[in-house]
Amino acid sequence: MTDFKQIENNLKKEAKRLLEAGEVTVALAYGRGYDAKHPMPFAAKTIADVESIVFNEYCNFNMARYLMRYPAETKIAIAAKAADSRAIIQLVQEEKVRREDLVILGIPAYGMKNQKTDEVVDSKTTCGLYNPVLYDILLGEEVHWQPVVSPYDVLAEYEAMDKEARWAFWKKEFDKCIRCYACRKACPMCYCDPCFIDQNKPRWADKAPQSPGNMMYHLTRFHHLAGRCIDCGECSRACPVDIPLYLFHKKVAKECEEMFGQAAGMKLEDKPVLVDFRVEDSDKILE
Amino acid sequence: MLKKISINKISELAAALMGKGLLLAPVKENSGHNFAEIKDPEQVDLGFHNTVASPKAAFFPHKEDFIKYETGKPMDAASVIGLNLPPTFLLGVRPCDVKSFGIMDIHFNASGIIDPYWKQRREATTIFGFAFDLEKPAETEEFYQTLGIGAADPEGSDVFMIKNGGNLLLDSITPKGEKLLGELKMLNEGKAADKKYYDEYVKKGKEYKTRSMCLEPGAITKKLEDLFQNTDFWNRVSSACISCGVCTFVCPTCYCFDICDDTLFGQGTRRRVWDACMFTDFTLEASGHNPRTQAYQRLRQKINHKYSYHVRKYGVISCVGCGRCTKHCPVNIDIFSIIEAAMKA
Repeated sequence: MTDFKQIENNLKKEAKRLLEAGEVTVALAYGRGYDAKHPMPFAAKTIADVESIVFNEYCNFNMARYLMRYPAETKIAIAAKAADSRAIIQLVQEEKVRREDLVILGIPAYGMKNQKTDEVVDSKTTCGLYNPVLYDILLGEEVHWQPVVSPYDVLAEYEAMDKEARWAFWKKEFDKCIRCYACRKACPMCYCDPCFIDQNKPRWADKAPQSPGNMMYHLTRFHHLAGRCIDCGECSRACPVDIPLYLFHKKVAKECEEMFGQAAGMKLEDKPVLVDFRVEDSDKILE
Repeated sequence: MLKKISINKISELAAALMGKGLLLAPVKENSGHNFAEIKDPEQVDLGFHNTVASPKAAFFPHKEDFIKYETGKPMDAASVIGLNLPPTFLLGVRPCDVKSFGIMDIHFNASGIIDPYWKQRREATTIFGFAFDLEKPAETEEFYQTLGIGAADPEGSDVFMIKNGGNLLLDSITPKGEKLLGELKMLNEGKAADKKYYDEYVKKGKEYKTRSMCLEPGAITKKLEDLFQNTDFWNRVSSACISCGVCTFVCPTCYCFDICDDTLFGQGTRRRVWDACMFTDFTLEASGHNPRTQAYQRLRQKINHKYSYHVRKYGVISCVGCGRCTKHCPVNIDIFSIIEAAMKA
């Protein structure tokens, strides 16, 4: 595998080249934070900015989250690991960004780490792919020597629970929620403006961090991401109280995949699964 | 009055305090330690550096119900929800967080409009401050030294606690604390050697290294005023901000709230709920106009409120350097770095 330092150099080189040539006006990558363990999402707009780009095992942020900040038709270079590239594909499918405006700098990566726990970020909390699904320029050698683990394996324990146990599980988890909305804000697919939870005419849930408002917020968000969540796991990593949101997203993603034979953000030419209708679609959803 | 108790016997102290009223103390949760109401004395866990959330919720809960009403009924049929507070003990508050209570008092208990909820809770509560462990290094994010707060400052606590090997030394700071310590029979008398250790520890706490810069309140206020229109600066420091509410919700000195009426099937509750200036709808006006639609405007507001407006209005910086906002920010925005950049700008 290409080491992270080499990827960082390649990232700088390509960002510099693209900005210099005027092919893009902004390069979305990772920048220096207050220490090496805490890099930040970073938008390089000048050649001088490029020097601040970093890449290391803690660069988990999904940069696709920042794509829609820029006016339509802005030419953007974006650093994309596996799940990030899936987010880009999904956003293109949903016509939120145009493929031709993007230069995707693909990053194959194995051994990314959670800055809070130092645990390796793998198929347990993300989609488990090592290589970007779509890219224009690849910044390192693809990872093929690692076993591919199904992102749904982690669901075994959850699926063993019956309906009552699952309800009790989520009730307990949602009671912890402080309604900071970091999950929604870190999510590349949560772009509704305004989000239903911010609407006040009518108000869909009370503002206090308690049931049933917490339940309303999370269950609605979970279902709004059905067939759209690309399993980057950023919601769970952003959560200050460690709610395992990824479990629900994975479960819904798995059901969608089984019903419609399509995972979110894997092919540019796909249509979002719940937008598309095909005669051969499963009727299981109606049962 | 200096007392001491073996750390192994902390549950005895906890049990005694529970016998007198309500005990709030750090307990281990899966995301880290947090203050919680103690149901079982064994839950109390003093093996923490600092809690995930600040202890402000002890006086300013995330949600506070004020009034119950029924729709369609006259206003005087609504009932006010009174506070019926037992004596409360807040055990294990770090010095920087104790300092934050004094800053919050400015808003809830001293500026003309007294908040009865905050005031009653403050009066019902005995604060057990707890010095940081000077043997261990500070966390990267912390910077209370910058704000002149020591790691073992007893000011603001009723009782102040210091760890000495396997023992906990407890000193009374206020008459309230002194009375309480006198009543706790499981505590042993502190010896002269303990007193010496305690005094030296408090002094050493001043030297405890956290991130530090020279920060004069007047200078940073002026600097931020000059920088206000510098959109490039604010855009740069806020470019990663995703506008979530983590920083404000874990902050010990953020006090903004929203008053909400929550009505279901004709039964309503009027309550106060924490709000966050990072949220897009924080400044949304009834007309639909929003003066702060951009992330940079909101982050600028937050920094200015703490380091500029607050200094102008009340003479103190509204930040205690606990570092929680930085530590829990999903995109690692660091308030210390922003202040540093502002001073250099």
